[in-house]
Amino acid sequence: MIEIISLVKKFGELIAVNDINLVVPRGEFFAVLGPNAAGKTTTIKILTGLMKPTSGAARVAGYDVQTHPLDARRRMAYVPDFPFLYEKLTPWEFFRFTGQLFQMEDRHMEEAARALIARFNLEDYLRKPIEGLSYGTRQRVAIASALLHDPEVFVIDEPMVGLDPHHARVVKDILKERSRAGMTVFVSTHQLSVAEEMADRIGIIHQGRLIAVGTREELRRQSGTDGALEHTFLALTAQEANFTEERAVAKS
Amino acid sequence: MNGATMPRSFTSWPLLLLMRANLLQSWRKLKAVRDQSRLLTSIIGLFVAGYLVLSFMLFYKGLKFISTFPGLGELLVERLIFLLFAFLFVLLLFSNLVIGYTNFFRNRETNFLLTLPVPAQTIYRWKFLESSLLASWAFLFLIAPLLAAYGLTKHAPWHFYVVTPSLVGMFIVLPAVAGSWCAVNLGRMLDRRTFQVMVIVIAGLMLISARYWWKAEPVDDETLETRVLAVLDRLLMKTKFAQFPLLPSYWLSSSVLQWLEGGMRSAGFFMLVLLSHVMFFGFLSFTRMGQQFYDAASIVQSRASVFGQWEWFRTWRSRRRAFHYSPGFLEHAFGLLRWVRKDVRALLVKDLRMFWRDTTQWGQTLMLFGLLGVYVINLRHFTQQLTNPFWVHLVSYLNLGACSLNLATLTTRFVYPQFSLEGKRLWIIGMAPLGIMRVVRAKFALATCGSLCVTLSLIWLSCHMLRMPLDRTLYFAAAITVMTFTLNALAVGLGVLYPNLREDNPGKIVSGFGGTFCLVLSFLYIVSSVTLLAIGSPWARFGQQSPELMFGTLAGFATLSVTMGWMPLKLGLRKVTSIEM
Repeated sequence: MIEIISLVKKFGELIAVNDINLVVPRGEFFAVLGPNAAGKTTTIKILTGLMKPTSGAARVAGYDVQTHPLDARRRMAYVPDFPFLYEKLTPWEFFRFTGQLFQMEDRHMEEAARALIARFNLEDYLRKPIEGLSYGTRQRVAIASALLHDPEVFVIDEPMVGLDPHHARVVKDILKERSRAGMTVFVSTHQLSVAEEMADRIGIIHQGRLIAVGTREELRRQSGTDGALEHTFLALTAQEANFTEERAVAKS
Repeated sequence: MNGATMPRSFTSWPLLLLMRANLLQSWRKLKAVRDQSRLLTSIIGLFVAGYLVLSFMLFYKGLKFISTFPGLGELLVERLIFLLFAFLFVLLLFSNLVIGYTNFFRNRETNFLLTLPVPAQTIYRWKFLESSLLASWAFLFLIAPLLAAYGLTKHAPWHFYVVTPSLVGMFIVLPAVAGSWCAVNLGRMLDRRTFQVMVIVIAGLMLISARYWWKAEPVDDETLETRVLAVLDRLLMKTKFAQFPLLPSYWLSSSVLQWLEGGMRSAGFFMLVLLSHVMFFGFLSFTRMGQQFYDAASIVQSRASVFGQWEWFRTWRSRRRAFHYSPGFLEHAFGLLRWVRKDVRALLVKDLRMFWRDTTQWGQTLMLFGLLGVYVINLRHFTQQLTNPFWVHLVSYLNLGACSLNLATLTTRFVYPQFSLEGKRLWIIGMAPLGIMRVVRAKFALATCGSLCVTLSLIWLSCHMLRMPLDRTLYFAAAITVMTFTLNALAVGLGVLYPNLREDNPGKIVSGFGGTFCLVLSFLYIVSSVTLLAIGSPWARFGQQSPELMFGTLAGFATLSVTMGWMPLKLGLRKVTSIEM
């Protein structure tokens, strides 16, 4: 469902994404981890078509995001880490706007919206301007609106930021349910607990490279550590940092 | 900030510390504006200097003209000064009330300071100073050329230009104190039923009184020609309230006028009256308002609703809670445009809702075009003077220029940043299967259609008031239509060519290079177009225009419009296909 093929993105001398290859099949919950400035957001931006790759390609639901952007977008949804909304609209107007952008039928849109509104406890906020809502409520509006058109691929950057424990649970449950129903979920997060609890597979990006991919157990074996994902993550990123340093010394 | 490293005067006087931090911040903001765009800084400087010089010249000529009326000139100018300061007091009072309320109760810095070990009195003092400055500077800037022109027409000595600013400086303290006192008490009592009823009753009574006092009195042409003194007497009677001796504006006006006339004792007396009031009320405000401000801030923070005491409001709110999931009026209205794609209609509805709910946008539009509309409607009062074809011709082209200049201001301010404003929301629009190119085209279509409704109405009204025949009305309508398309295309095109996708504030987006460039190009286009149209007008020199010149200038106008409108839009649409977010 998601294919990333030899993806490279350079900003001048800096290589933000360095030859990433990855396939995420239909219905998989995939979490990508990595330190700050590892290249996670750049990869997501290329995957969603907001940025062009220097070389390589990204496909969503079989469509190349560069050559067939509209076909790819019709089948996916993306929620960034800080989702800016239209402040002067109400959540209900925003849901209708999003649904209409995706050419949804009115009846279908209303049914889907009502179900999500109930799930995210948004009934009391439907008439209030978004500018007056708390950060967590905005995040709920953003996630609900992105799920409205029932996307085949769902890409989300830091899904739990600002959410209270109850609504964090709601988001986790919905994403897991949809994933079981066939939606591919691609999550970028710094919260290792989210990846540990939710993901079918985990990818670790470090300095633009995908240094490890696999289930929790596979990653643990690869790193040679036991216990929490935190240890695995720290060990893998440290190994990679040492390896890069050695290469730099050898080169010099 | 580490108190140990600060000079002792700052740490022991928190007010000075606050002033220092804010001054430093303001200075850096000013420097940032300068560094951001030198072109913008130069244009702002040019406009400020231009206003000062032009208004000074206008006031100087006006006052000179009035003073030539034998016996009446002095009286009229004197009354004008009394009126100026009386209205200035009222305006400053309202300005201080509004800015003070916002600054005391709706300000992030205030909320932050209230959590620090800073006395409430100090926070009040700082916010009072800040509000007074913010509320007063623009008025002082506006009246400065008038006072300078007045001094010059009366051949005032040099010390007049030193004393008058000092007097005005003292004077602004009184409306500032009154305004901030009203703001604090408004904060305390806004939700009380008695207070709300009282305010409505007082406002109603004041409106009725003002309407009665200032109701228009018909004066026929004959009375105006033959009974000047009687008419003037009625005029002076209506404005006599400005000379009520207990008004602070009276003390200021009297000291300024007496100083100019050389009556130093009398001027000194009024100056001391003003000074004593400023010191008394200033002292009260600086020493006694802190606790009241703190109580009011607490009340405002803990208030759920201003109208919560009223049964009708509670019923209305509970009715609103029952949500009906209706699409809304705009969606129904746009639903009639069946030939427009559903997603494009959604975008148009969204943009219109955002415009309507952003008071800055429609407020400024209403103000700019409303003022022009009032002027155009009042053209009928000049029709007697506008019998000469030359003046009709000139005024009609000036109206075209004014209308398009207003439009250029709005397209630069609101249409230009439209694309950039989608920047942080591209996860919505950019991820929709609509295509960014269609988004840009839809924005252009909406802005142009909206602008055309206003500009065409105004031009039609202008032609109607000037009693122009149909062919000339159509000519002007065609000209403003082309100009509306061009100005919107220029703003949309440059908005895409010079986007600022990081900024969320339209004001900051416009203040960059692209926004300034758009404004300058729009003005140049308008000046060139109106000149070309006026030169090549078929009605110039009363029908003796050569066909070559006429067609040449019209072709020039068309070429200019295509170059300034179509080209940037085309380049913008080309760029949008390859833009990276």
